[in-house]
Amino acid sequence: MAPGPAPCTVRSPVVLQVGDVKTDLARPGVAIIDVALPPAQPLDVRVGEIVFKNSYTAFLTVRVQRRRPCDVGREGARKWVTCLWNHCLMPSPHTETGSQDYFSLFRHQMLCDVDQVTAVRLILRQPSPVWLHFTLEELRLYPKGQQSLQTDFPTWLSHLAPQQQPENLHGGIPDPEKVSTEVQQLWVLTEMIRANQTAARIGRFDVDGCYDINLLSYT
Amino acid sequence: MAACEKRRSAPAPAPATGSGLVEPVRAGVGGREPESEAEFLLQAGVTSMVREALLKVLEARPEEPVSFLASYFEKLVLSGPQGGAAGDRHGQQQRLVRALWYVRLAHHSHRTAFNNNVSMAYECLSARGRRKKPGVNGKIYSELLKKICQDGEAPEEVVSSLLRKIQCRDHEAVPFDVFRYGVLSCFVLLEFVAKADTLYDVLDDGSGVADKRVCQAVLGTLEDALGASDFSVPIRYLEAGSKLGPDCLALAMDKALLERKICSSMNREEFLTKATALFIAKVKPID
Repeated sequence: MAPGPAPCTVRSPVVLQVGDVKTDLARPGVAIIDVALPPAQPLDVRVGEIVFKNSYTAFLTVRVQRRRPCDVGREGARKWVTCLWNHCLMPSPHTETGSQDYFSLFRHQMLCDVDQVTAVRLILRQPSPVWLHFTLEELRLYPKGQQSLQTDFPTWLSHLAPQQQPENLHGGIPDPEKVSTEVQQLWVLTEMIRANQTAARIGRFDVDGCYDINLLSYT
Repeated sequence: MAACEKRRSAPAPAPATGSGLVEPVRAGVGGREPESEAEFLLQAGVTSMVREALLKVLEARPEEPVSFLASYFEKLVLSGPQGGAAGDRHGQQQRLVRALWYVRLAHHSHRTAFNNNVSMAYECLSARGRRKKPGVNGKIYSELLKKICQDGEAPEEVVSSLLRKIQCRDHEAVPFDVFRYGVLSCFVLLEFVAKADTLYDVLDDGSGVADKRVCQAVLGTLEDALGASDFSVPIRYLEAGSKLGPDCLALAMDKALLERKICSSMNREEFLTKATALFIAKVKPID
């Protein structure tokens, strides 16, 4: 499987509104984003993770179009199923919390299997009239077996490899917990003095106590 | 009673400039008596003085608030006239003692309080006289730094190497930002030395002497973490935290002990010198 997100086409959000879009003053509370997946051979995409950045969407419903093995070759037999229902992105729709956060939706959160997916439909709801626009940004679908941040984790952030686990250490070493606590305090103090560096200068013109004769004025 | 009333209405003598006492408001025309207790306190300049004292207590949060207040008011009374004594050696020493008292009022981690007190100290040291322009010169600034460091338990050579970086020449005018950075550097160094001393106690495991290999491994790990830190990239902080975690330090110490080197020890002074060298390397020299 190729690394990175699955190739897909994310369509612009379509706003659902009752009445005339131009004349009605009421703000729409629902929008739909369709994601088209290119036909994959021999099977369609098995979704492992959906990653996106929220932009003032309060609730999200995810529907997928799946193809069952018996339906191969029959275009009309593809079924739309709801795999995530009213997932809360903003705990309080009238306030900022969660409005611009990054979210990851995993397979285990889905209500049904998300294998052999041919299309994804995201239904966005924002009941609050406070926000003019709402959408989802930076939308990416990762196939099963991929991890969105897999390549971004540096080695020092992941757990120690089994051969590195400090199990049978030399008997004479000082208590690592205590040493770590003290050393971290030394690090903090050093960082603090570096962070407080001043840009102000005395304005000296000498080099090692000696002046260039051209810099001196006879006035 | 009459005498008491008479004394009350008499305007208090103006305090010394820069002593911290607020000049009292004069009584109304004809020196009439104040109408209420509040008005009297206002006239005597007591209200603002007490308010300032309470603010200092809240800023410093001392363990003994009463003795702190006693010391505060004592310093307020003892600070003699500064205007005329600006050139006088005794007056300068007095100002130096007062500035030292100000900068010690709050710990440097209480940033706002510390900054306020440093600016008070700067004002206090600022030369005032007929022929002198206000400001702090390099001589008195360097003296203050020496006094701060003398009161700590930092080794002489450690203090000297820091002062070489942040001292100013006697004739130089010291801007406030440079003054603040110098004072802060001294206080942080003293705390660094105290923490390094505690670390040595952990490394020597109560024996009084620590294994040189272990000490070098720990200091090497600290140096590595400091080298990695670049505060424009927040992830570097996580990296440093990971490197200084118990697991990584345990591995570093274990690896050091497994090396087939002649087992030698490192005494406390040597350890403090090597540790503080890492700190002093990060202090920006005054230029």
